[in-house]
Amino acid sequence: MPGAKFDIHYVFDYFPKQLSTLSLTLTIVGLSILLGLGFGFLVALPRLYKVPVLQRVSQVYVSFFRGTPILIQLFLIYYGLPEVLKLFSVDVTRTPVLAFVVLTYSLHAGAYISEMIRAGVTAVDRGQVEAAYSVGMSGFQAFVRIVLPQALAISLPVFANLVIATLKDTSLAFSLGVMEMTGKAQTLITLSQHFVETYIALAILYFVISFILEKIFYVLERRLLKHERQEAGAGTGRRFGWRSAPTLRNLLTGTTRGRGGARARDGRSEA
Amino acid sequence: MKLDPAFIWTAFVKLLPAIPITLYLTVISVLAGLLFGTGIALLRIYRVPVLSQIASGYVTFIRGTPMLVHLYLVYFGLPAIIDVVSESFGWSFRSVSVPYFVFAVIAFTITASAYMSEVVRSGLLAVNRGQLEAAHSIGMTTPQALRRIVFPQAFAASLPNLTNSLIGMLHGSTLAFTVSVVEIMAKAQIVASTNWKFFEAYLAAALIFWGLTVLIERIAARVERRINVYNRGGVA
Repeated sequence: MPGAKFDIHYVFDYFPKQLSTLSLTLTIVGLSILLGLGFGFLVALPRLYKVPVLQRVSQVYVSFFRGTPILIQLFLIYYGLPEVLKLFSVDVTRTPVLAFVVLTYSLHAGAYISEMIRAGVTAVDRGQVEAAYSVGMSGFQAFVRIVLPQALAISLPVFANLVIATLKDTSLAFSLGVMEMTGKAQTLITLSQHFVETYIALAILYFVISFILEKIFYVLERRLLKHERQEAGAGTGRRFGWRSAPTLRNLLTGTTRGRGGARARDGRSEA
Repeated sequence: MKLDPAFIWTAFVKLLPAIPITLYLTVISVLAGLLFGTGIALLRIYRVPVLSQIASGYVTFIRGTPMLVHLYLVYFGLPAIIDVVSESFGWSFRSVSVPYFVFAVIAFTITASAYMSEVVRSGLLAVNRGQLEAAHSIGMTTPQALRRIVFPQAFAASLPNLTNSLIGMLHGSTLAFTVSVVEIMAKAQIVASTNWKFFEAYLAAALIFWGLTVLIERIAARVERRINVYNRGGVA
């Protein structure tokens, strides 16, 4: 058994210490998502508007960043980018590690965001664009005023997942020596050898943050999708989500939802 | 330090023997995760009292924390538990004799079962309720109906999600390098640091993962076409 004997006090003790590095974690997440949105748009546009060569380029970019583990991308960019830039005689040896980390996460997020934008825009009805053109909007106006707001609402759940996934992925930045929450946890461990307690505190921290993020996005989503609420309510009754195993008694007394219940009620009134 | 394109190939060849370890890690944890995930999903769909709350708590917690943390908690916490248990029963078995690989698999299974339960749950919810009622009406028991009618359709519905989760776990298996399991990532690190050629080694590792991912996507697309045959409509 590695480390010192389990002592629950260390969980509470280390909690504030790890909390102090929360700002760095959130900075990485925030910057990466912002930059990622930029990359995502740049990459999504050629594919949406079917620009000849650029379309292939963005396809390869997305495939690569979605097809390789983020951990390898981190190392690849950290070690590779300086060497590639050296060929163009740009010296980046003094750039802080954080810059490489943020760049990697934003490129990674950018690939997913571009797919998200593509899916969102494709989900917007074609007639919306045609209607925008027919009232005399330009292509840019139609995209920004009509398509984008709808696409955003559609893709918000995906975006929420992406932000939370990025938050969890930041735990890998320690491997390049960035002092975010996981890195801090590792230094605390080298001091005290209390492995499990530290990681329990770390897990709780991550969980609380992602829980809060999820709640925020949930509220946002409800607000953005206000105009579609009525449609969402209909048609859910007939899905497979039964509350409990349907028993004969339930079927007879008509307590199940949907058509079965209505039929049972009819039968009773006849009797 | 100069860029050495030839070394990418050398590293690539050296990384090839590590592929099975990565695949074992991924496949075992995904299959086990699918098994546990199905159980969790059924508990939640049927709203079994107490157990379903525990199951949702488990899923929420696991999905809210990084995979790395699960790995560390299992790697550092489980040996202590094993030792205490085996000591209290007077067994000679100690956690030292358990290979690191097993801890990695257990940790990844814990992660995978939470994600898989969501995949299975959404798949089951996508199956029309009438299908189950029809199965009941011709005299099938609920387990029969689930196995013969609901699960095949749910599988077809959740195949894209399943593929994504599988790829996610494949990528997540790189974390095993932190607990000294020599899969592709760890091997790349070894190759990189012994030859002092980091970029080339990681590039080779990235290429391998890229290839594996594209392969999985292709296979999934083919299976998807095959499995959705029943859904095509028409008369022939």
